[in-house]
Amino acid sequence: MKLQKEAMNWLDSRLGIRELLHSNLTGYLLPRNVNVWYTLGSVLLALFGLQFLTGILLLIYYVPDTEKAFASVTAIMNQVPYGWLIRYLHVVGSNLIMVFILLHMFSVLFMGSYKRPRELTWLSGFGLFNMGLIFCLTGYLLPWSQLSFWATTVATDAAGAIPVVGDTLLEYLRGGASVGDATLGRFFALHVMGLPMAFLGLVGFHLFCVRRAGISSAPFGEDYRPTELSNSFHHQKHPGGVPFHPNYTIKDLAMIFFALALLVAITFYAPWLFIPLDALTPADPFSTPAHIKPEWYFLWAYQSLKIFPSALLGLAAQGAAMGFLAMLPFLDRGPERRPGKRPIFVTLYLLGILLTVGLSIWGHYS
Amino acid sequence: MKRVQSVCLALLFTPLLFWVAPVMAEDTVCIQCHSGQEGLLGKPVELWRGSVHAANGISCHDCHGGDPTDFAMAMSPERGFIGAPDYVAVPEFCGRCHLGVKEDYQGSAHGRALAAGGPQCVLCHGNHEVQLASIELINEESCSRCHEYERAAVVKQTINGTEVTLHRLERSVAALHRVGIDMRRIKEDLFAKRNSFRRLFHTVELEKIKNQTAEFNQSLLKIKQQIDDHESELGQRKIVGGVIVLLLLLGGCIALLIRKSYHEEE
Repeated sequence: MKLQKEAMNWLDSRLGIRELLHSNLTGYLLPRNVNVWYTLGSVLLALFGLQFLTGILLLIYYVPDTEKAFASVTAIMNQVPYGWLIRYLHVVGSNLIMVFILLHMFSVLFMGSYKRPRELTWLSGFGLFNMGLIFCLTGYLLPWSQLSFWATTVATDAAGAIPVVGDTLLEYLRGGASVGDATLGRFFALHVMGLPMAFLGLVGFHLFCVRRAGISSAPFGEDYRPTELSNSFHHQKHPGGVPFHPNYTIKDLAMIFFALALLVAITFYAPWLFIPLDALTPADPFSTPAHIKPEWYFLWAYQSLKIFPSALLGLAAQGAAMGFLAMLPFLDRGPERRPGKRPIFVTLYLLGILLTVGLSIWGHYS
Repeated sequence: MKRVQSVCLALLFTPLLFWVAPVMAEDTVCIQCHSGQEGLLGKPVELWRGSVHAANGISCHDCHGGDPTDFAMAMSPERGFIGAPDYVAVPEFCGRCHLGVKEDYQGSAHGRALAAGGPQCVLCHGNHEVQLASIELINEESCSRCHEYERAAVVKQTINGTEVTLHRLERSVAALHRVGIDMRRIKEDLFAKRNSFRRLFHTVELEKIKNQTAEFNQSLLKIKQQIDDHESELGQRKIVGGVIVLLLLLGGCIALLIRKSYHEEE
């Protein structure tokens, strides 16, 4: 104990650790009305950490070669001690991350927390959501299963629908005329090195934005009033609020425990929820599996592409929808955040969710 | 410069592609052409879609030959097109893949009677709608078309227990495969056993079937033991998983109780 105190004194005299910890933990006050939705960021950080850890462990045995990839994954699942656990935690974890990212985005939208001065927080978060999707798609190819091969073939095929740059894009993505060794090499490098580095940078920027702008209070209750906006930088403080640590971090910890319980329950009892049958067969470029479907988070896009008469139109509509969502803070500029006082937004919000869920269900059963 | 611009545009469009999803590949030219036809020319496609062959990727050209990629030459003898075989040629037609069964069938009373109008493969199994063979194919209605049912009933009774065991083991193998356990070796072993067993009763020799069924039952016991080991390991995993889930839930509840105590202070 004495040694610990001396080490702390040594660090404090050089780096001002105590002041840093106080200003960011015990002295950092949050609004009194923060609710359970505010914990989703911490849950996501914990799950990202687990993905990094399990991903590094999988890298020890995975072989990024079209001749050996499926066999190496089979060996991880059946011969490596606890390999099945590490892989399933990674697979189920990636799906749960998408669930929690969506919930996080829905709560931010509903509470209007994306509004000025938090436009950059929203944009970086939206970037992280897209990066999560790319993470999933690149990870999808690595086991070199039937699902991996054909999902990637069709996803990259759509490149040909884009005028002028279609062929270049196709070549750039696949590294050849068809999905093969070069594609696996590219996706592997992107999945284990390129994306994680960019992702860490963007997470850092997102957290920086959250800390600099200050936590927004939940727009509920009689005491809530819209914030007066100024043109100069202003960190939103919450005098009389609750300390971030330990009062709030313990709530974060509780939700992390519950999220991990869900992850472990699916991993041990129903891992097949996120692993279609075609993912259990090695890739065969000469045999197209029947009824191949994308993962649940791509189903809305899959179905919307089928609705439009051409792939280009479908892609353009999806691009417009995603662009609108990314630019929302710059379009919806009023200071009002209370859902009850934003009936048009809430109606569009609910219709948007219903449309996405409806398209996904349609895509699943089509 | 133009190439740089193209690459930049390509990079710009890349994220859009990750919202795109897979669709089914095109069918062969045989299916494309025949599925649009009516009557006898279109019916086989409809029947084939619900068959065990379709489920295992065996398509028209695998049996009838021809070129499934070329509309003009699809039915050309130059590309190996055979068409529909005559009644007596059916065992040879099916036997190109089902070699063992063909051999036992040809040596049996059924096979020896073929030239005189005896039964062949499609009479019991059907043709385009061929289903996974089951013991139910041996039934009074089917067998009594040609002879008395008594003898066939004894055969059915003899093989019934082994058939049930085979089905049960196959279901267990499929369930273990579904959760990622490598079942290839056991699956191949079971497949070989099932095929040998099916060959056996195509001989329609009662004594031979009785004697060899007992041997099959012994060899299936060994496979069952391996499957039981895997299932037992899965069961243990679930117990450990359940304990971890409970501990995590307990941890969450304790954290919430601590939070509540802070809340009272606030």
